[in-house]
Amino acid sequence: MFNSTYDLIWLVLGLPLVGFLVHALFGKAIIDLLGARLGKKMVGGLAVLPIATAFAIGIGLTYQLAQSPPEARNVTLRLFDWITIKSLSVPFEVLIDPLSMTMVLIITGVGALIHLYATGYMSEERDYARFFTYLNLFIAFMLVLVLGNNLGLLFIGWEGVGLCSYLLIGFWYKDIANAKAANKAFIVNRVGDWGMTLGMFLIVAVLAGNLDRLGVKDGRWLSYDVILPNAVNVLRDHPVAATIIALLLFIGACGKSAQFPLYLWLPDAMAGPTPVSALIHAATMVTAGVFMLNRLHVLFELSPLASAVIACVGAFTALFAALIAFGQTDIKKVLAYSTVSQLGFMFIACGAGVYWAGMFHVTTHAFFKALLFLGSGAVIHAMMHDQDMRNYGRLLKYLPITGAAMIVGWLAISGISIPYVFGLAGYYSKEAILGGALAGQHAVANGTNYGLVSGWVGLGVAALTAMYMTRMTYLTFFGKQERWRELPAHGLHETHPSHESQIVHARDAHENYGRDGHATADFFYSESEMALREQLENEDHHHHLNPDHTPREVSISMWFPLVVLALLSIFGGWYLERNELFKEWISPGASPVLGEVSIHPQGIQLVWLSFAAAAGGIFAGILIYGRGLSEREGWDLSKWNPFRRAARRQFYYDDAMVGAAVGGGGIFATGLWRWFDAAVVDGMVNGVGYLAAGVGGLFRKLQTGYVRGYALLMFAGALGFLGYFVWLISRTAVGQ
Amino acid sequence: MTPLWQYLALGLFMFTTGAIGVVVRRNPVVVFMCIELMLNAVNLTFLAFARYSPSVTINAKNQVQSWMAGQMMVIFVMAVAAAEVAVGLGIIMAIYRLRNEVDVDEMSTLRG
Amino acid sequence: MSNQILFWLMAAVAAMGAVGVVAFNNPVRSALSLVVNFFVLAFIYFSLNAQLLGITQILVYTGAIMVLFLFVIMLLNLGAPQALQEKRDIKPLLGLIVGLGLFGILLSQVVMPLNFVTRSMARDDFGTPQAVGKTLFTNYVWPFEIASVLLLVGIVGSILLAKRRI
Repeated sequence: MFNSTYDLIWLVLGLPLVGFLVHALFGKAIIDLLGARLGKKMVGGLAVLPIATAFAIGIGLTYQLAQSPPEARNVTLRLFDWITIKSLSVPFEVLIDPLSMTMVLIITGVGALIHLYATGYMSEERDYARFFTYLNLFIAFMLVLVLGNNLGLLFIGWEGVGLCSYLLIGFWYKDIANAKAANKAFIVNRVGDWGMTLGMFLIVAVLAGNLDRLGVKDGRWLSYDVILPNAVNVLRDHPVAATIIALLLFIGACGKSAQFPLYLWLPDAMAGPTPVSALIHAATMVTAGVFMLNRLHVLFELSPLASAVIACVGAFTALFAALIAFGQTDIKKVLAYSTVSQLGFMFIACGAGVYWAGMFHVTTHAFFKALLFLGSGAVIHAMMHDQDMRNYGRLLKYLPITGAAMIVGWLAISGISIPYVFGLAGYYSKEAILGGALAGQHAVANGTNYGLVSGWVGLGVAALTAMYMTRMTYLTFFGKQERWRELPAHGLHETHPSHESQIVHARDAHENYGRDGHATADFFYSESEMALREQLENEDHHHHLNPDHTPREVSISMWFPLVVLALLSIFGGWYLERNELFKEWISPGASPVLGEVSIHPQGIQLVWLSFAAAAGGIFAGILIYGRGLSEREGWDLSKWNPFRRAARRQFYYDDAMVGAAVGGGGIFATGLWRWFDAAVVDGMVNGVGYLAAGVGGLFRKLQTGYVRGYALLMFAGALGFLGYFVWLISRTAVGQ
Repeated sequence: MTPLWQYLALGLFMFTTGAIGVVVRRNPVVVFMCIELMLNAVNLTFLAFARYSPSVTINAKNQVQSWMAGQMMVIFVMAVAAAEVAVGLGIIMAIYRLRNEVDVDEMSTLRG
Repeated sequence: MSNQILFWLMAAVAAMGAVGVVAFNNPVRSALSLVVNFFVLAFIYFSLNAQLLGITQILVYTGAIMVLFLFVIMLLNLGAPQALQEKRDIKPLLGLIVGLGLFGILLSQVVMPLNFVTRSMARDDFGTPQAVGKTLFTNYVWPFEIASVLLLVGIVGSILLAKRRI
């Protein structure tokens, strides 16, 4: 089995798993044994080490892959047969190609940095080992997802990372809000999985139904090397089937990558510890949908309608989330919505047919979004776990390294550039996406080029992105006010004068909610309930943020990853774009159906346009927020303008969805229970029960409890059996 | 030489005698003895077959194994029987201590 | 021919022993009949060239197991003649019928059709300690180890059951 360097991939897969097992089995024991300080160091080291080693191996393998000629960059390794039935075989195989190795590098590289960061961030956490158990398990599942050579393995990873995400969002499960946020993520993701599984089944059905035309003997219908070449042949003649498959898989991608109808869970997922937000909900897991679209791009390219849908959903999500971000005051929520928005960009790219640009944005986004999240975590850490930007201000003075890194992240996500000379990471990937969308001719339905539409929308969203990120940066790091100084002192039962009425109102509403509304939203809070809770908690604990608190720069294990990620955010995009390095790297498997999609639209000065969008957004942001927090965004929500208030509430979409899902679902379920369950199902179940009881009553008389009687019956049975056999044999003997 | 069927007949006789004993006797210790009798009947049958008709096999190595298979079965039957007797008699002791009598027919709490 | 006579003698004693186990009312007598049966059975094993198993038969059954039986009988005082008199019941009759049926069917359908087999096929030394040991410790080493675990479990279990207080 082990006969080439590529077999080292098993180490990449295995190391995080080993780390998981070590932490799960011995983590707590190590901490107990060595004491909290040393034990946590040990556990943290044991968590970072496997991931970092996997990253090193990943680099080596990628290098080797890059050395081989482009058409040979496709290695399949088989470990064992997993599912083998007559018509379907799903082996445990990994596929090493540029796409999967890119993802492996992102996952292990960014993952290792975030692990390192988490050793510092979680240092005061009691359940230290449990945290790293989940984190390592997550990396292991994510690697299965990207390395698997078939949809079955992809689905294992898909569900596995969903599980880890659930566990980590609810990491502080004693707080009911976190548990409910975890539930929300899990349940909303099930909707996506529904589409995903149906899509998978449909692929198998379509391919296996054309068995005679394809000549595939071993029934590996879920393996990419079977799907990709054969699907083209079959689905070309069945455009409807192609569209349905593409849309179903897209629903799955929507769930995992938080696109419009299903994005609801991602903002709530910020309840988890910040390293989790950075790792799972920004850099890696949420890109699984984009990865899947890339992996199966042939299926999506076959259906222009599906591509148009993808581009439009991406554009709408990007716009919608960017608008919501303006209304958020929680620093992590802003980043959460910006993640949703950036994921929308990736989907625009996939819809427009420039799949490699989507992957490019995945890569650069992993750099700067991890940077921003980790930076926000450092800020939150320094500010005694207060996440409200309204309490920040002028933090650059206290947190120079974090601040500088965050500023790099801000400029990178804004996509700022010196035209034709140099740009930060976000600039190159965003320009590739927008260029592909504006130049592409793929996402056309009913004669309208939706790719073009979403391209222009994307350009607008790029400006908005720059603007709301400026808002975040200025509220946090710049300005003259140090707003936490104005907080009421800790321990005093005074209320901040400016939001007294608000709190009273909220408390009333909370009590009402407790009486009436509780039963309707048992599994998760809707957005408005969540906001209510936050407000109450702010008031109740008032965190531990005192007016005389002095933020201090975080420890080295926390700022070192920030610096690395900042460097990647500055130079990563430039390096990967140079000589079209990334495109050449990822493209061998990119466009067999469509051919190349240009990223240089005719007659549009994209370089200047995107520069104008980024710079204009930043400029507008500075104009508005340069003076610090305006009264219109302060504590008193009634002074906010209606648009911003609506944005704060996600334009009531979340409330509507929760109402519809929980309320409507409740009515539906009640109906089911009353008419179907009580009458039909219970009738059947009870009927079977009565039948069994009746028959059993007949046989009960045989159960005398006398052991000898049982023995007698047993021998009689043996005798009867023997007699029957003898009769059988004699009959066949006569027959012959 | 003694034909195979005579061994088998003796084994069969012991087996049926044991079976009848299990059904007929009320004393659990005797029931156990009858079970031992049946097990030994089986052992005898195994050995007889092992001696007389080793199954047709492909190569010499397997043939040796199939000669030995019967004896191996006998050894393991003996081991199982020993364990079974130890535990079974322990159970009888426990029941006796609990109820001060050991009639199989009185142990009928499993009645349906 | 002398072989035949010897076998029939041994078979008759073994059969009588077997009947004795079932027929004696007193468990001690049943146990002693069983000893006779097992002892003769060991010699029948010898006649099958299974020397090692014959010896084992005497050691394990006639030795250890039967002592255990007698020990329990004595300990529980089951040897008293009035203990557990058999009641008149339909079950013994039924058991007898079923048992005889079993005997008849197997004898006529399985045993008698094999009456053409008269020649031993196995090698004469197939029951020597060398041959058995070699097989047991090579091809059957895992079952052998598992059997040892089984015996250990049996020991622990019986101690657990027999002890008054753990």
